[in-house]
Amino acid sequence: MKGIPFLEGKYSPTLDLYPIECKEFNRIYPFYDNLREGRFTTTKCKGCGKVSFPPRVICPECYSEDLEYIDLPTRGKVVTLVEKWGGVPIQYTPPMIGAWIEFPEDSPVRHYFSLLYNCGVGEVKEGDEVQLYVFDVAPHPIDKGKESIMKERVYFGFEPVKKK
Amino acid sequence: MGNYNACVIAGGQCKWGVREASYVDLVQEAAKACLDDLPGLKPSHIDGLIFASTFVGRRSTQVNTAPVVAERIGLKPTSICTRVDVLCAGGSTGILLAQGLVESGMAEVVMVLGSEKLYTPERWQIQYDEMAAVDHDWDGPNGIGPPPVWFAVQAKEHMKAYGTTKEQLASVSITNYKHGLNNPKGHFQKELTLQDIQEAPVIADPLGLFDCCPFSDGAAAIVVAREERAKDLTDRPLVYLRGGAQVSLHSVGGNWPGEHLGDWPHLRLAARKAYERSGLKPKDIDVAQTHDCFSISEIIEVEELGFCEKGEGGPFCESGEITIGGKIPINTDGGLISSGHPFGATGVRMGIEIMKQLQGRAINQVQGATFGLTHNLSGGNVEHTIVTYGLEPR
Repeated sequence: MKGIPFLEGKYSPTLDLYPIECKEFNRIYPFYDNLREGRFTTTKCKGCGKVSFPPRVICPECYSEDLEYIDLPTRGKVVTLVEKWGGVPIQYTPPMIGAWIEFPEDSPVRHYFSLLYNCGVGEVKEGDEVQLYVFDVAPHPIDKGKESIMKERVYFGFEPVKKK
Repeated sequence: MGNYNACVIAGGQCKWGVREASYVDLVQEAAKACLDDLPGLKPSHIDGLIFASTFVGRRSTQVNTAPVVAERIGLKPTSICTRVDVLCAGGSTGILLAQGLVESGMAEVVMVLGSEKLYTPERWQIQYDEMAAVDHDWDGPNGIGPPPVWFAVQAKEHMKAYGTTKEQLASVSITNYKHGLNNPKGHFQKELTLQDIQEAPVIADPLGLFDCCPFSDGAAAIVVAREERAKDLTDRPLVYLRGGAQVSLHSVGGNWPGEHLGDWPHLRLAARKAYERSGLKPKDIDVAQTHDCFSISEIIEVEELGFCEKGEGGPFCESGEITIGGKIPINTDGGLISSGHPFGATGVRMGIEIMKQLQGRAINQVQGATFGLTHNLSGGNVEHTIVTYGLEPR
């Protein structure tokens, strides 16, 4: 489980790093529901065809609200690799390993910077293939009527494709 | 409404570093330093306040800060009293906005005051909060927030594309530490050698400790005045605000606008617009302050600002052209790397340094400087802000 559980002994302005994902709060909740199914998605305008990432509730090109979710590639190639050893934020253990990832030419999203999971130093190199990795993060309280309930959450990064 | 000229007439900063003081303490110190810079200038002469700060809302549990700051420093604004929040570019954004207000006749004398209080109440929050300085839902959780990660990738891509070396990165830090050696208000005052840099801990390869600017507490204030009022208030040479630009083409890292991460078209566009608006060319600039949050930033900035050819930033910085006596002295008071970086205050510090350079009273004086430029990037390198200054109006 990643993320800092709400106000767990920390000074009150503790930042919640992850989005509040549930439909009571967030109109792009389908993105997170799709993540739970292992799908990496974004929105496409049914009117002008513009694909925008991150997902939107309006098309940034024509301002239409008629959008649909489409799948993005779940595999890409590491272009440039980075390891952060110093000044690593709370909840992370050095080194933080990240990568500038390139997706295939026909992908509407060509690049993304992501942390890499399930690998140690030297276990991934530039040119290697990585794949979507979805993980649980700390639940968040949200009001539902007069009740405050905890909502489960997920987030994503990438991990090396295991060589057979 | 008129069409007036705007000048900077006074500026000052408090001591920057790890400070045992709150943000309202720091802004009072900076306001005093600013008014002390121009004997005779009084709070009652100032009709506007623009307060630049990003983390004050998180780190000091205070929002709606501008009236709080105004009261603490004895101002009673009647034209403008507001806060701007564009992280590292807050100070220079405030100066651009003050220029517009003064030129339009909306205000006559505006103080732009930038401040951040980062070391409170628990140090671990600084790195963690930084992850909210980029797009919180997309880049923050994916690690771009703690700045060296993102700039280390950019450094690697610049190295791949142009052959930039670690020694060239080091030359930026050595130069800026040298410039900051006699700046008593800066975060650091020490000499730095190549050996110091090579033996320092790696933060995110190729960036070591001394390739990175520090987090700093601090505040700085500068006064922008209508030309006619400026002539009443000072006998010093007037330093005119000539024109600037602010450009943002994306906010999520994945939508980077360049061919690769060492290619910064958003800065090129900001520079082109700032040069057009100011009537200046890169060769006209006598002294510049560029956003050296990391050594690699300054190398790419000298290219995109037109001080050298694209890809030549490494050799250009290493050759000594960025120090006093060189082609274009840069970060002449130590820059972010030595002076420190309280985000909202940094652009104000840069403006003060350019004002003093053009008035001939800087600590490391560039002889005969007539035109100057400041540059800030902000967030995950998603916005570029340029302000130009001159001894003559546009």
